[in-house]
Amino acid sequence: MSFAAPLFAWVGGALAVGVVALHLLSWRRPPALPLPTARFAPDAPVRTVSPAVRPSDLVLLAVRVLAIVLVSAALAGPTFPSRAEGLGRVIVVDRSHGLDGWASIDRLARSVYRSGDALVVFDSVAHAVRNPTLDSIVATSPTSSSAGMSAALVVAIRAANELQRGRDSVEIVIVSPFGRDALDGATASIRRLWPGTVRTMRAGTAPNDTTRARPLDVRAGPDDAVSAALALEGAAPVGSVRVVRDSTTARDTAWARQGGAVVVWPREPAPEGWPPRAMPDTAFGVTVGSLVSGSSTSPSRSATVVAPFVRRVAPPAGRVVARWDDGEPAATEIALGAGCMRSVAIVLPAAGDLGLTPAFRRFATQLAGPCTGAHPWVAAPDSVVSRVLSAGGGRDGASTGSVGTTRSDGSTARWLLAAALVALAAELFVRRGAANATA
Amino acid sequence: MPEPRTARNEERQRRAEGDASSPETRSSLLDAIRGVKWPALRPVAGALPGAHHSRLRGAAPELSEYRVYRQGDDPKRIDWRLLARSDRAYIRLAEDRSTVSTILVVDATASMAYPERSLGKWRAACDVAVGLAAVAHASRDPVGLVIVSGDGMRQLPPRTRRGIVGELARALDGTMPHGSRPLAPAMSGIRSRIRLAIVSDFLGDADDVRRRAGEVAAAGGEVHAIHIVAEEELDPPARSFLAVDPEDASLARPLVAESRAKYVERFAAWRTELAASWRAEGLSYTVARVSEPASRVVRRVAGAALGTRRAAASDVRREMR
Repeated sequence: MSFAAPLFAWVGGALAVGVVALHLLSWRRPPALPLPTARFAPDAPVRTVSPAVRPSDLVLLAVRVLAIVLVSAALAGPTFPSRAEGLGRVIVVDRSHGLDGWASIDRLARSVYRSGDALVVFDSVAHAVRNPTLDSIVATSPTSSSAGMSAALVVAIRAANELQRGRDSVEIVIVSPFGRDALDGATASIRRLWPGTVRTMRAGTAPNDTTRARPLDVRAGPDDAVSAALALEGAAPVGSVRVVRDSTTARDTAWARQGGAVVVWPREPAPEGWPPRAMPDTAFGVTVGSLVSGSSTSPSRSATVVAPFVRRVAPPAGRVVARWDDGEPAATEIALGAGCMRSVAIVLPAAGDLGLTPAFRRFATQLAGPCTGAHPWVAAPDSVVSRVLSAGGGRDGASTGSVGTTRSDGSTARWLLAAALVALAAELFVRRGAANATA
Repeated sequence: MPEPRTARNEERQRRAEGDASSPETRSSLLDAIRGVKWPALRPVAGALPGAHHSRLRGAAPELSEYRVYRQGDDPKRIDWRLLARSDRAYIRLAEDRSTVSTILVVDATASMAYPERSLGKWRAACDVAVGLAAVAHASRDPVGLVIVSGDGMRQLPPRTRRGIVGELARALDGTMPHGSRPLAPAMSGIRSRIRLAIVSDFLGDADDVRRRAGEVAAAGGEVHAIHIVAEEELDPPARSFLAVDPEDASLARPLVAESRAKYVERFAAWRTELAASWRAEGLSYTVARVSEPASRVVRRVAGAALGTRRAAASDVRREMR
């Protein structure tokens, strides 16, 4: 054990010695004995300093010395040698990409894994492997479920805290292709719970996020509200979706047959060929569900717009992708060759800024997604992964690098101070008890 | 404040249960002082025949000396045969001997109950008083006793009967020193022409006692002061303690290593001053240590009286011539 400020330790030791000396040379009232000639003794205070041959109140002395030693030790800042050498790691392995993507993940995980590391395997759920070895990675069976990075981080942080007891420092290593669907809104906040380092190892090639995003393929007039909403929300996978605000053409149909998604979203309230409703009415909300096949139907993947919509026509028959608040279909989709045709019977009000609201922008972006069942996996760019996962924990958001010695030093000083306070409180009670016993 | 009666009862019970040392000490004391004479310091004026020189001369059969007849002498005392042989008128002088009443004033206040365990001062005072009483009684002197304790005074008037010494001893043995009371008032009722022996530590009203003793001596009496001192008072325990006056609990002073020398010095100075003041009044003053055998103290008291008496007798003879 060493001290960051040994002067406090020396001062505390001197104080403790002084307390012991004062205790042995304390002011005390000598025992009273009768002496007829007491009048000839010099008149002096009854209490006098005398060395205690048999020290009394040893408990009180011990508590006082303990309090001084604890306070001085806390101020001196004790540092203890590491209980274990080396860096501990929690290897978090993503197995949600099937057999095709598992090869690179397995290779990376085995290259980074060392004996003594913790192992967490995750897809849509995460679990820590007990007593992991290198063979544990080999024996992992890949799945085709969606990946949940937040759940994996929760399990990894728990494993890291356990690993921290025996290691100098601990870091979390995530081996994954880092798809967009793996990151959600809670991932960044969960990451901040871990004050140490989170190292990311991408399996596969990262998307080029330095190229300029191109606008979505929208065929509409210059003052179209849907076009403006899609432009504000951001870029969509280019070449897979085409939004048509006017009438469809043969080229659109041919493009859809080749695998594209044509979203027919007419501006007219009653487009030709669409079945009219028996009586126009007003709906006050519309919701689009997830278009991803096999994904969870979590509310975070759906979008709802609450506003008065006049309904004059119904979408053509097909798979319902959006419904009005009363359950009637608002948008349908039909397969066409390798692609699909999506019909949206939602007419925006001519007046107002509904198209610019965040809710409608998310709603429009959902509707302008790829075909149902053909939703491609998209890798998250490095900038996104770095922003979400690499930012260190702590209140200031700075990366602390490792977790171990530094934190334990601070906690040791706090515990010493707390123990000193307890000792001082005990000294008060012991002193009162000694005074009562003397009285 | 008088001490609780239980302490006295405990002491009596302890003695009744057979403290064998006390009778043996007392009997050995009486054996040791057998034959000791305690003559009066100056001729006494007693009427009863005794062992002390009397102020009266002439009637006794024992011839002392002749003196030329002077005008005013009783013609009956003229030695007519000598007158017939020498034609000179001489009168016969004979020394009469008489008794003197002896009263022992014993201090039984709390300061005499020291040390607490052995009661050495009180026992020494009792032994000295009994010894002096025995010596005086051996000279056919009436012996009386005054015990001054916290409860008051207990008086035994002077008597010459055979068992008076035993009575005095029992009275002393039945007393447990306690409380606080001045000695001087106990001497106020004592008539003048007596022999007074004060056995005390003189830690109470020493000045008043000495003043009253001086009055007794001036009136023709004889006063002896026997100062009882314990060894623990001369050399108190080395360890630090709070010395508390047993007669005044409010008087408490620490006695530590630094103050011991000062205490010893002050106590010695007080004893010297006390002895000087008594002797300056022409009174007998004797220090009796607790560790000292009582017989030795008795002999010293009697010897001091003998030496003083011889000097006084020569003065009287010189005056009569």
